[in-house]
Amino acid sequence: MALVLGVLVATHFGSQEAFSRSLQLETPASLTTLIANLAEKNGAIREEIFDLRLRVELAQEAIAGGRGSLAEAERQVAQLRVFAAEGAASGPGIAVRVDGAFDDRALGDLVNELRNAGAEAIAVNDVRVGPRSWFGLAADRTIVVDGAPVPLTLTVRAIGAPEVMETALTRTGGMLGQLALIYPRTRFGTSRESALELPALTRPMP
Amino acid sequence: MRAAALLVPALVLGVLVSAQWRAQQDRSEIAVRYSTPLTEAASSLQREQDGLKAQLAELRASLDAIGASAASQGGAGRELQTRIDALKERGGLAPRSGAGVAVLLDDSRSPVAAKDVDKSICHATDITDIVNTAWRGGAQAVAVNDERIVGTSSAYCVGSTIMVNGTLLSPPFQVAIVGPQGALLAAFDDPSQLRDIKQRRDVFGLGFRVSRAEVRVPAYSGALTVKRAAAR
Repeated sequence: MALVLGVLVATHFGSQEAFSRSLQLETPASLTTLIANLAEKNGAIREEIFDLRLRVELAQEAIAGGRGSLAEAERQVAQLRVFAAEGAASGPGIAVRVDGAFDDRALGDLVNELRNAGAEAIAVNDVRVGPRSWFGLAADRTIVVDGAPVPLTLTVRAIGAPEVMETALTRTGGMLGQLALIYPRTRFGTSRESALELPALTRPMP
Repeated sequence: MRAAALLVPALVLGVLVSAQWRAQQDRSEIAVRYSTPLTEAASSLQREQDGLKAQLAELRASLDAIGASAASQGGAGRELQTRIDALKERGGLAPRSGAGVAVLLDDSRSPVAAKDVDKSICHATDITDIVNTAWRGGAQAVAVNDERIVGTSSAYCVGSTIMVNGTLLSPPFQVAIVGPQGALLAAFDDPSQLRDIKQRRDVFGLGFRVSRAEVRVPAYSGALTVKRAAAR
């Protein structure tokens, strides 16, 4: 009895450790991945800092030279229109085909993975995915995006770096590999596209 | 008397047995040796990211000031600035505050959690599911531990660490949602929504609570990274 009590006492404190989320508890492999992800994200922020410094400088020069800052404002509008999913969008990227059983949560996971791989604009069939888009199931179990049905077979198109997105999805242990295990009868395929055309958002933003 | 004399040694033996069992589950000596410098590197990169975001915010403010100055002169400058402000609002680049709901997501603190640790802790998919329900409920702005959710946001796990917008986060997760309270609460109360989270809350004590609140959601502070897509 006391032996069991001793084990239980130690297990209780051990269990509390299991819930600690400090980095010290991560394996070296996980830490290495975290470091790589952080370094990549920091690199992207540095690039934008460099770009913005140049733009501020150019705008100030333009104002000082009496030319105004309309060019900078127009550039911002063009960039923000993509970021905010206003209007149609075009550019290179990948297409992911899903032929067979699938559901809204899996579609959400796929979109999450594409965003993690740097997708700048996404559409599911002919429905653009925006900053506030949601995925669900209609009463007849059809997948909906912002309430609009997207019948199977799905084609998810994403504008971004084609090689980065395709590698992220198809690497060993990647999202498509995991989905293929969960949906063994569903066929998944990817292709790199040089010129995707994605429609505008049809659902008004709240 | 004899039984009492055996009590302490038996207790100690029990603790030692458990410690030995756990030691065998601990990482190898090599892994432990590399953990400290790797942990420090990750923490350092996160601190670096915080600093870079602050620089980015300053530069954005500088550009905003230039734009505001141009707008004050009327005409095309003002029209463009109005458009920029509306797009920033739409894209999550402006802070929002107002009525909404606050969602708390946390690892279980219940002793029952030891039965299944995986079901008792938060996962990145829990965050994406909660955010999905928020948008479904008509949310206008969402942030997770002050990370604004935008069209390029992602949440994922590396090991047991969660990253949102490429930033390290740890529980508890406070999800702040600005939007129509009635519709949001209905979406979160809907039995068909977040079934997995609700079951884990009921069985394993996963922390999950939704409440009406006045919330403040900051602007997105990360990189915009629009390089390949062009608006038409």
